[in-house]
Amino acid sequence: MIPSDHFVRFYNEVFKFLDEKNGLEKYYLHISKHQELHCLELFTEKGLQGVYEYYQKIYKEENCQGKVELNGHELILLMSRCPSLSKALDNDAGVCSKYCLHCPGWTVPIYTRAGLYQIFDTMGLEKAQCCEWIYDVKELAIAKYNELIQSSPKENIVTNFEV
Amino acid sequence: MLRYQENNELHLDFHGTTNTTLDYVAENYGVDALKMILRKTGHEVYKSIREKLEKGDASELIEHLNWFFYREKGKYDLRVSEDEIIFEVLECPAIRHLRKLGLEPSGHVCLQTECVNEGMCEGTPWKSSLEIISEGHCIQTFKKEKQQ
Repeated sequence: MIPSDHFVRFYNEVFKFLDEKNGLEKYYLHISKHQELHCLELFTEKGLQGVYEYYQKIYKEENCQGKVELNGHELILLMSRCPSLSKALDNDAGVCSKYCLHCPGWTVPIYTRAGLYQIFDTMGLEKAQCCEWIYDVKELAIAKYNELIQSSPKENIVTNFEV
Repeated sequence: MLRYQENNELHLDFHGTTNTTLDYVAENYGVDALKMILRKTGHEVYKSIREKLEKGDASELIEHLNWFFYREKGKYDLRVSEDEIIFEVLECPAIRHLRKLGLEPSGHVCLQTECVNEGMCEGTPWKSSLEIISEGHCIQTFKKEKQQ
């Protein structure tokens, strides 16, 4: 058994292998399908409230440092210290340079299926921090995106809607 | 002393992601590729355990087995002698959690144990073996070879 505590270090090795095969994107979609088991119904039926509830649990179980904030039609997931990348970095096997990309990789299809609008700022792939904004109104998501690109490099930002 | 100190909350659903990943890699890239990734995980991620084993010191391996199965409330029996470690898992926490989630354990689920253990022992005087008794019940053996 790979301990659940060490899963991310195995995940990191899988990413290195798949990256060499140009297979990361297809794998993210597979993981996204798997993750539907844990959150699609919650997101679809409860919308942002469901996302809030899911991440309350995740932030606790995964020992995240940051905050989950629900403000009406906007949900903010601020990760000031990502435990996942932190473990991949604290790792004798070395980190996969694309490690962070799995997060938008699996969440983008789920938010899309749930009818929610996502803006993901990776804040760079080498830092264990990121921020997401989720909306249930597209116009608000577009406005946030336009605001964000004034201050953040465009290559750090992923959305699940056309901009 | 463990290289990776883990004392906080547990996210057991990671066993589900491991399970789906084992199948994904095996189906898309073959079982040999999966074994290679798992052995590399054992060899490189657990470098600290391996380097101690090279010197004949199994203390971190023993602590690793004991601590992570204890943390995940596994049922196990650990018997240690100078040249042999026998770790009998009576109820595997990973398989128990997969069943709780309603997931069928991958046909490759025990390769995690077999190949990671092999990777940790590679290049050391220790050899690992795995005997699967039934679902969630296995005997992991680490045997130190006699120096010539």
